[in-house]
Amino acid sequence: MAAKSVGGPAPAAWLAIAGLLLVVAVPFAAVVMQGIFPDLGQGSFAKPFSSFIATLNDGALIGMAGNTILLGFCVVLASAVVAVPLGVFRALYRVPGAALFDVLLLVPFMIPPYIATLGWIMTLQPRGYLQQLLGFNLSPFLFSLAGMTMVMAFNTFPVVYFAVSRTVEAVGARYADVGRVFGATPARAFWRITLPLSAPGLAASLMLVFAAAIEEYGTPAALGRRAGFQVLVTGIDLRISDWPIDLPGASIMSLLLVGLSLVTFLGQRWILSRRSYQTVNGKPSAKDKRPLGTMKWPVLAAFIIVSFLATGVPLLSILATAMSRTISGGLAFDNMSFDNFLQVFQNSAGALGALANSFSLGIGTALITGLIGVTAAYTVVKTKIRGRLAIDTLTIIPNALPGIVVAVGLILAWNMPWLPATPYNTPFILLLAYCCILLPQTMRYSTAAFQQIGDNLEAAARVFGASGITAFRRILLPLVFPSLASAMLLVFALASRELVASVVIAPVGMQTIATFIWRQFEQGSIGLGMAMAFIAILITTLLPLVLLALLRRSGLVAE
Amino acid sequence: MFKSLKSITLGAVAAVLMAGVAHADVTVYTAGPQSLIDKMSEGFTKETGIKVNVFQATTGKVMARIEAEASNPVVDVLISASWDTATDFEKRGWLVKYSSPNAAKVPDFLKSDYAVAQGISALGIAWNTKSGTPKPTEWADLTKAEYKDMVNIPDPAQSGSSFELTAALAGQDEFKLFKDLQANGAIIAGANAEALNPVLQGAKAAVFGAVDYITLAAAKKGESVEVVFPASGTVIAPRPAMILNWSKNQDEAKKFIDYMLSDAGQKLVAAQMLMPARSDVAADRPLVSDLKLLKFDNAAVYGKRKETLGEITKIFGGK
Repeated sequence: MAAKSVGGPAPAAWLAIAGLLLVVAVPFAAVVMQGIFPDLGQGSFAKPFSSFIATLNDGALIGMAGNTILLGFCVVLASAVVAVPLGVFRALYRVPGAALFDVLLLVPFMIPPYIATLGWIMTLQPRGYLQQLLGFNLSPFLFSLAGMTMVMAFNTFPVVYFAVSRTVEAVGARYADVGRVFGATPARAFWRITLPLSAPGLAASLMLVFAAAIEEYGTPAALGRRAGFQVLVTGIDLRISDWPIDLPGASIMSLLLVGLSLVTFLGQRWILSRRSYQTVNGKPSAKDKRPLGTMKWPVLAAFIIVSFLATGVPLLSILATAMSRTISGGLAFDNMSFDNFLQVFQNSAGALGALANSFSLGIGTALITGLIGVTAAYTVVKTKIRGRLAIDTLTIIPNALPGIVVAVGLILAWNMPWLPATPYNTPFILLLAYCCILLPQTMRYSTAAFQQIGDNLEAAARVFGASGITAFRRILLPLVFPSLASAMLLVFALASRELVASVVIAPVGMQTIATFIWRQFEQGSIGLGMAMAFIAILITTLLPLVLLALLRRSGLVAE
Repeated sequence: MFKSLKSITLGAVAAVLMAGVAHADVTVYTAGPQSLIDKMSEGFTKETGIKVNVFQATTGKVMARIEAEASNPVVDVLISASWDTATDFEKRGWLVKYSSPNAAKVPDFLKSDYAVAQGISALGIAWNTKSGTPKPTEWADLTKAEYKDMVNIPDPAQSGSSFELTAALAGQDEFKLFKDLQANGAIIAGANAEALNPVLQGAKAAVFGAVDYITLAAAKKGESVEVVFPASGTVIAPRPAMILNWSKNQDEAKKFIDYMLSDAGQKLVAAQMLMPARSDVAADRPLVSDLKLLKFDNAAVYGKRKETLGEITKIFGGK
């Protein structure tokens, strides 16, 4: 409300706008243009809109769009069912071994979805690891909508879990206690105070899950096709990989996906705009957690089961495959060896180079998206400048653009002959692609954090003579930093494993972790691919943990 | 460890700096196996001093990249996994005419004025020897009760050679074989590697129309899997190499084709369990002359591509 008089938004806004134009608007504009002008790749603007009718007339399109929405809702629902109760218990009660469970529930983030899916397939299919160990298989379940939902939900629910546990923790104790003082029962205080006030975090995380689910390629491709379940992304991929290549058709279908994502996003905005969610107002709040009492064992069991299914099963399956000399040899003692791991460390097929490439790109992407995300979120939430809805919309678009379409858009945009210099065919094009795809992560987390910070904090700083930049740096940034830091760590993990865009856009001769793994699979060296995947998961899990521990020690992040 | 990290970092920085400048290097886009193109580039650079920039992906992804780059293309040599690409690119006028002196021993059906095969793969039945099923010898065997729910078919929409096999076999009996396969629980299971993986673990017994060299390489590594080439005939997939007419490095590109068809280059092809294009280079596997090939009219088959794929979707997709 008071933001306008508080003033000083200009530098942040300009930085955000410049970054967004470069990272999101350029490739998106190229995709739109490609949809309108089918011969854009040849540099021609002939026959505008001619592809629209052919693409939209495709009878399969409605079925694919329907399946996409259905899958999105199923994954959101399943993620919420698993994550919300766990998150609330984690936030309000003393769960034994909570820190350990946080780590275990972080790991699914780090497992690339296509790897997790392959892990589940190798576990549940006939003669898979489950059957080798226990004598039965769950193949009919896995290759169905339910199986797809389960695999995808176990991959994405940590987004909801961490969002809920953080926001409920911030809201929970203090406001609910006030309710209790005025005579509300604990349940009533939770439903009427804690849950509504946690809505921004919950809504933002559910929306991320929905957007991730409708945009996900690996799982629907591996599980869905067998169930006859086509979604938009697999349809788009088919248009791009089936000769003759249909780039205009793929672009138009991507715009449909973007439309879907925007609708969810507007829905979220509408929910949030109806009231204020400011809970961080500078007053001290006690973070005393309650003991679980008689609920201790059931809650602990739930944490253990979810951790085992989400983290244990995929990891063990990946490890078993990586250690098998031959896949047909199965889980036999004489079939186990560390050969595949040795091959990775001996730099077979450029494995070490791929690791170094991906981690440098991951760090770069985290820093850039962090900077753009936090400035854009500040501009949208805390200033009143015109066009901030446009900024907000721009940060949501990449959420729905399939990676492969981002890649095509970037090639179209950056490979034009008249450009004097171009990042295309250098590693910077991968950096641009990752920043575009992952910007929504830092943006959504920072937005949710800013929405919970009272305007009076910044105003107070300004009253005491701080400049706009100082107030941002000394007051707001430290308050959103925990959210921002976790979003950046997430970006690091996601960037260092991105597959779909990397496969198309990687500069000649450059491998990343994901393209390395994918090539091993293509050549039938599943064990070597899985060994690489296991090492990458270990590093992407441990590195952020070490970083967080260091940050905590230096006092930048609260416990 | 620190030293290797340091050299990796330096290498990465150097790669960043070098990647933008391509002077008289030859840029190769290939749908072939990564290790083959790696070894071939290494040998070529050693012999000629010309550096090779490689982009490797599936045929579809390579094509998507070329299509998106069309206004400012960078590729000099393209090696596709489907001869159809060569025919199509020739029609578009994108190719340079070249007959390598080393192509003399390449049979006529594996070369044209504009393209020449690097190597050839064939399709066969990949069968898990420990699956407890009898060894199949014919395509039609896989419709028998022993193989109920145990057969994977690579998606003909995602692989040129699978499509040709499907079209050739479907043309013989109006899709009866595929209807019988479906009735026996066979499923369409993604691209080639995706279809083979369940057979290795034993979830399925056989792949109907597996790319042979991947399966042969797996068998060589000790996987209990075998390739059967049905006596009634199969299809082969020559992998055409071609020079693009926009290439600014055509001499280097021609030298690359020469090297690819040299004794050394063809031996590398054979080492990947592919059939060498040259008939005078030996390989430790069945060669084209050992296989019976299905006869079909290429132009007619590709002319009806959409209808054929539609029919297959109708048979297998209807759930």
